[in-house]
Amino acid sequence: MLNGTDQPQEAPPGSGDGLLRALEAAETGVWHWDLTTGTIDLSLRAAWLLGCSGGQSLDYGDFVALIHADDRADAEKALRDSIAAMAPFDFVMRTSRQERRLRLRGQVSRDAGVPTEVSGIIIESVRRSMAEEMNSRLAAIVASSDDAIIGKSLEGIVTDWNGGAEAIFGYTAAEIIGKPLSILLPPGQEDEMVRMLDRIRAGERIDHYETRRRRKDGRIIDVSLTISPIWDSTGRLLGASKVARDVTAARRGQIELEVREAYLRSVLETIPDAVILIDDAGIMRSFSAAAERLFGFVAQEAIGQNVTMLMPSPYREQHDAYLARYFATGQKRVIGRGRVVTGMRKDGSTFPMELAVGEMLVNNRHSFTGFVRDLTERQQTQRRLQDLQSELIHMSRFTAMGEMASTLAHELNQPLTAVASYLNGCRRLLEGTESVNALMLRDAIDRAADQALRAGQIIRRMRLFVARGESERQVENLTKLIEESSALALVGVREAGVRVDFDFDPRANFVLADKIQIQQVLLNLIRNAIEAMHDMPRRQLTISTAEQPDGMVEVCVSDTGPGIAPEVAPQLFQPFVTTKPHGMGVGLSISRTIIEAHGGRLWVAPNAGGGTIFGLTLRALSKEELSDGN
Amino acid sequence: MATDAVVHLIDDDEGVRQAVAFLLTTSGFAVRVYESAVAFLDALPSVQPGCVVTDVRMPGMDGLALQRELKARDIGLPVIVITGHGDVPLAVEAMKAGAVDFIEKPFNDDALLSAIRVAIARHGRDARRGDEIAAIKGKLDSLSPREREVLDGLVAGLPNKTIAYDLKISARTVEVHRANLMTRMGATSVADLVRMVFVVRSPI
Repeated sequence: MLNGTDQPQEAPPGSGDGLLRALEAAETGVWHWDLTTGTIDLSLRAAWLLGCSGGQSLDYGDFVALIHADDRADAEKALRDSIAAMAPFDFVMRTSRQERRLRLRGQVSRDAGVPTEVSGIIIESVRRSMAEEMNSRLAAIVASSDDAIIGKSLEGIVTDWNGGAEAIFGYTAAEIIGKPLSILLPPGQEDEMVRMLDRIRAGERIDHYETRRRRKDGRIIDVSLTISPIWDSTGRLLGASKVARDVTAARRGQIELEVREAYLRSVLETIPDAVILIDDAGIMRSFSAAAERLFGFVAQEAIGQNVTMLMPSPYREQHDAYLARYFATGQKRVIGRGRVVTGMRKDGSTFPMELAVGEMLVNNRHSFTGFVRDLTERQQTQRRLQDLQSELIHMSRFTAMGEMASTLAHELNQPLTAVASYLNGCRRLLEGTESVNALMLRDAIDRAADQALRAGQIIRRMRLFVARGESERQVENLTKLIEESSALALVGVREAGVRVDFDFDPRANFVLADKIQIQQVLLNLIRNAIEAMHDMPRRQLTISTAEQPDGMVEVCVSDTGPGIAPEVAPQLFQPFVTTKPHGMGVGLSISRTIIEAHGGRLWVAPNAGGGTIFGLTLRALSKEELSDGN
Repeated sequence: MATDAVVHLIDDDEGVRQAVAFLLTTSGFAVRVYESAVAFLDALPSVQPGCVVTDVRMPGMDGLALQRELKARDIGLPVIVITGHGDVPLAVEAMKAGAVDFIEKPFNDDALLSAIRVAIARHGRDARRGDEIAAIKGKLDSLSPREREVLDGLVAGLPNKTIAYDLKISARTVEVHRANLMTRMGATSVADLVRMVFVVRSPI
């Protein structure tokens, strides 16, 4: 626009002294070239500007000599073109002497179609030339930009079109300048440009507006538009400049990124482990939904805070030093290997957790991803199992002792009974014999019999003492009791190819029992069954319950083992009788003691399909007893 | 004391068999011994009337099963159970199954002999048994209502906790009552207690 030709025309020199003086005052020189004579007249100012020492009137050759050699050809061409086209001229040139930059503007007058004279002004062009340089720099920038830079009129007609625009939209400048920019609109968006032009006319600017455009080849592309109104120096709205960038690839990348992010987010939200991302300063950058649940903080509370807020003392104070130590030495302590540490919830309570840390290096900055698993429940389960096991061990020792006492009682009671009976028999034989010796003998026999009975009493008391723990009977859920004991007994059994079936009678649900002892019996029976089936092709273990009419519940453990040898069967429940190479032979004996102490029975029967069934009964609890009992 | 009644003694322990047979013989009873319940059942057709003294825990058929078998065969021989395992459930079961008496080994000869006399006298109640019943009744009457309730629970084979729950008292209180009533009844064990209650409840 700066070199536009629509500026108001200047008055020719010599139209009045006043005007000339005014022009002199404005440091504007005036020159006049009579084409008929070839003489060029210069005003004082013009001569001074041109550095002309030879007076104010000179011929064309002298005039041209005042122009810098490098600019001479351009200047002469501009003048020639102007005369030929009968058009105004406006060009900048350097003088040959003082290297002054001058702007020469003027126009050609004619008479009957023939050019007669050229008149114009000469001004020093320091400021203007800077603006022009800037202008050309800007023009170069515009030309080399990859973005499409487009000028358009308020009517939407293309006025400027750079190389970037050609690359993006496919049209050359020659093809599109003067045409409406609306040819770039894809179908269905035809009214978009009207709305934009309305906004431009209102003086609004449109920034990074993402929309779609159609290339010359018909392909639809995603573009980001920035449109600014253009005003002239008087504030008149001339048109709009439009910068367009092809964001098709960027958009596709962004969509992919969004999809990946959503995917990651859903993974993080669903995995049971809490996931926390920290940067190299220990500041949390991401806090998963599981982390929210585990620690009681919502993500907004945690993100931006130091991860030490999730740790109790003394770890809380040491963590920053751990990080520093790692960066200094590269020595990994937690990274890459899981560790059990203590975490702290928002409410200050602590819990055991398993921590696994992964490291990432992005843009030369370390960040760490922590996967946290709550071990509270696992440790509780483990503790419970341990408790149960130690209880079982204790009870089995206890019962073994009880069994021993019971066996001792029986084994000792028999000879004691014999002794007492013989002595009493002897005493009766001595009755009626009145000799002194016989009296003394009777007395001694009496005392001996009493001592035999006393031995029996001692044994009885010892048994009662050992058996005292046996009366801790409670209402137990039989199904649960069986499931728990089989869970203990069946560890690793499925791998051994043993199929296990349960058949629970829903009516046989509650029993009055010492849970630990009954579990011990079941454990014993189940393990026996599994051992019995060791060498069998078919290994099927069935545990069933059934309600009995006499207020009892029957539990059967059936195996498909080789069955019980007939010679062993009668003594199966005797202590120290065993069919196992390394068995002690007390398991079944203890089991029977326990079951009988519960008022039930323990028996063995052959399994119809081969193998053995061990059955036991326990006292059932009716619904009435249950409701009374609760 | 000699009658034509025979005491049928069943015990798998030979030492016990011979010793008890010796005692019974010296006391004037005719005795036949059997090493198992099955052996006794085999000899049953030729068995002379009298009573049965049997051990409980034996290989093959145990003493309680024998009681049931005799009942099933409608054999009216009275049974005295002797055992080295004086458990309450066993005592209860034996007495419920109709045993005349339940005696823990090793026993005082008087306990066995009087039980055998009662058994042989069958439906009659001799003076001694009558005395014993009266004595037990007297002791039972001396119990407080609460002790009587605890006693009923014990005889039913219930554990302390259950008795405590049923009576809405603490298990500890049950133990106190239990200890007191054992003393008042002069019982050597809960099994003995069960025996006493059954003697009174179901006289032969």
